Amino acid sequence: VLYLIWAYVPETWLFSLGLTYWPQKYWAVALPVYLLVSVGIGYILLFGINMMSTAPLNSTHTITDNFAKKQQQKKFQEEAIPALRDIPISEVNRMFFLPEK
Amino acid sequence: MAEERRFLSASGVPIALRRRQHSASCRELAVRGPRLQLRSLSAATSAVWLAAYGLFALCENSMVLSAAIFVTLIGLIIYLHFVKIDQESLLVIGSLGIQVTSAYASGKESTTFIEMGQVKDVVINEAIHMQKVIYYLCILLQDPEDPQGVSEVVPLFQSSKPRLDCLIEVYKSCQEILEQRKTAPQSS
Repeated sequence: VLYLIWAYVPETWLFSLGLTYWPQKYWAVALPVYLLVSVGIGYILLFGINMMSTAPLNSTHTITDNFAKKQQQKKFQEEAIPALRDIPISEVNRMFFLPEK
Repeated sequence: MAEERRFLSASGVPIALRRRQHSASCRELAVRGPRLQLRSLSAATSAVWLAAYGLFALCENSMVLSAAIFVTLIGLIIYLHFVKIDQESLLVIGSLGIQVTSAYASGKESTTFIEMGQVKDVVINEAIHMQKVIYYLCILLQDPEDPQGVSEVVPLFQSSKPRLDCLIEVYKSCQEILEQRKTAPQSS
């Protein structure tokens, strides 16, 4: 509300009230423009940051990560559903691509 | 014994896979991309020369034209020698190692050899690459003192990017040879 009052009331009226130290009126238009431009650049920036933080094709992050390396093997129980774990990529590949159906 | 089959790459250009079996434990798989097309070469050359002629019409400096000629010649040589890969091949020798060669259009060949002790497995991995998810074949390297962990990932066929059907063929061929080292562990 204060912002709107400052933007619209002419300077002479504000001076007559005794309040003289305000920023220049130029900023009443400049600040919203700055905000909108930074929102627009933020779109592009976010896109760029996403692309840069994608793991490259030759990094081990595409295969495993810290949690998978340190997981513990639960003992195999008869007639129970096996425990949830990260299956290594060699096993997954063999299951997908090797059997001839 | 050699056979050649046609496939498509990830971007839609036709590629050819050639499989040669040298012996029971040695196979060579080569993926060949398309040669440099005359129409793309002439399109690029005429675009550069038209731009140079437009600049010359603006600024009346005849050096622009000769500079454009040099730029096209040198650009073509650099492209053929450093960028355009004609054929990528994989030579798997059972007890020795894997050799990866890239042959450029100017005749240059760059080779990498990975010995079998370092190779953990050859797998088809999928990853995000430039707003697409692609399948690519890669060699998993292991540390000698840590046989469970993967120390490095070496992606193969980076410039010809075959699709999944071609990759499955290459994967099956490689696995046939890699399985032999488990059943024959006499070599140190």
